[in-house]
Amino acid sequence: MKYFGLELLKLRKKTRSWLGPILVFWLIMIAYPLTIEFSPENLEIGFFSVLWIAILLSMMFATEDIFTEDYNDGSLEQTLINDIPFVYQVVLKVMIHWLLIGIPISLLSFIFSLGTNGNLSLSLLILPFAMMSSYIFLNLFVLGNALSLNKGSVLGAIITLPMALPVLIVLGKSITAIQLEINYSGFIFLLLGSLSIIIVTVPIVVSYIIKAHLE
Amino acid sequence: MIKKFIHQFASPKTYLFQVERVYKFILYFSLVVYFVSLIWGLLFTQEDFVQGNSFRIIYLHVPASFLSQSLYVSMAVASFVYIVWRVKLAAYLVISIAPIGALTTFIALTSGSIWGIPTWGTWWQWDARITSTLILFIMYLGLISLHSSFANYEKADKLLSWLAIVGAINVPIIKKSVDWWSTLHQSASITLTDKPSIDPSMLYPLIGSMIGFFGITICLVIISSKYQIFIREKNKSWIKEYV
Repeated sequence: MKYFGLELLKLRKKTRSWLGPILVFWLIMIAYPLTIEFSPENLEIGFFSVLWIAILLSMMFATEDIFTEDYNDGSLEQTLINDIPFVYQVVLKVMIHWLLIGIPISLLSFIFSLGTNGNLSLSLLILPFAMMSSYIFLNLFVLGNALSLNKGSVLGAIITLPMALPVLIVLGKSITAIQLEINYSGFIFLLLGSLSIIIVTVPIVVSYIIKAHLE
Repeated sequence: MIKKFIHQFASPKTYLFQVERVYKFILYFSLVVYFVSLIWGLLFTQEDFVQGNSFRIIYLHVPASFLSQSLYVSMAVASFVYIVWRVKLAAYLVISIAPIGALTTFIALTSGSIWGIPTWGTWWQWDARITSTLILFIMYLGLISLHSSFANYEKADKLLSWLAIVGAINVPIIKKSVDWWSTLHQSASITLTDKPSIDPSMLYPLIGSMIGFFGITICLVIISSKYQIFIREKNKSWIKEYV
């Protein structure tokens, strides 16, 4: 709990790190209507595609320097010899990023969805999809950034984005299912299944990768 | 006995001397098998009832697609061996397979696009199988970029191995994409469990081309791994003896 509070304070103090991705998400969603002929029908056509891509990009920016600063100032080495296993520390780091960045972005997704199509039930369904996808993307980009530690976030994005694309496909398919009023629960379970695998495996893999960097 | 053989073969030195003896034979044999199958398939097989002559591209497309996925699996297995048992040779093989895998995936994508024009009326479609194969191609490029980003080979090997293991999740998605999603791409005609749905006159040259292509790819991996061994072990005395 003490470590949780410490990590939360660390991220909260770095306003750019948590506010930046939220603003990026906001700006993408604002930029979208400006690029098309303004009419409700036109807006609805590509709205959800832009939404998922905006979430993806925001999560990419959110994890940009998740380990870099600690690696450069040497505190990452100290955390490895901490009482708390490093795997738990990674889980907490991701969770804090999700609480401060993922949750607000999911709420904004709901608001933007409601503002665009005026459909409350559809927009309420967007919320769990946005929450799950943001957590999955966060984990994937944490993995990418751990692999490309100190080599720039572009490399991390290149190696992680291909793994995020199947999630985007599932998100796209689920929206189609919801809009066509066919059974979409399978997609929720698919995302939940992926999420549960990722929650367990990614922190373990990331801890080994970080150790490899520090050896 | 087996353990002793594995331990001996896991040494880059033994590997280099052993493959040197056999790889040229595999290469010539595979080239002959591939070109005989290709000629058989292109000139002596009847036209397809629906697709006409355009189906003959399977003698390149199918082996390349099969190997693009198989190479990734073998890379993931080699990565696992390196991570668990710290076998140096496995790390050399991982980075040796990556460019060959990228090449076979590129061939699969290009030949598929060429085949798509007469059969689907388009060279590209954003459907599950094609998109997931494109993702595999990008993953190969990502693996190569990651490895080349680190000057420390040992660190690069470890990170590459982890990424290869995690990325292996994409392989079953590609494999099953034609069953899980509605797609333009046909389901597999040859499976391990069912009788092939392809006519024997087309099947035999296809099997031949797959064996030939497999052998050629193995030889390319061997050549690539020899290059890796030369770079990594350049300061060892036995390399001078070998050269």
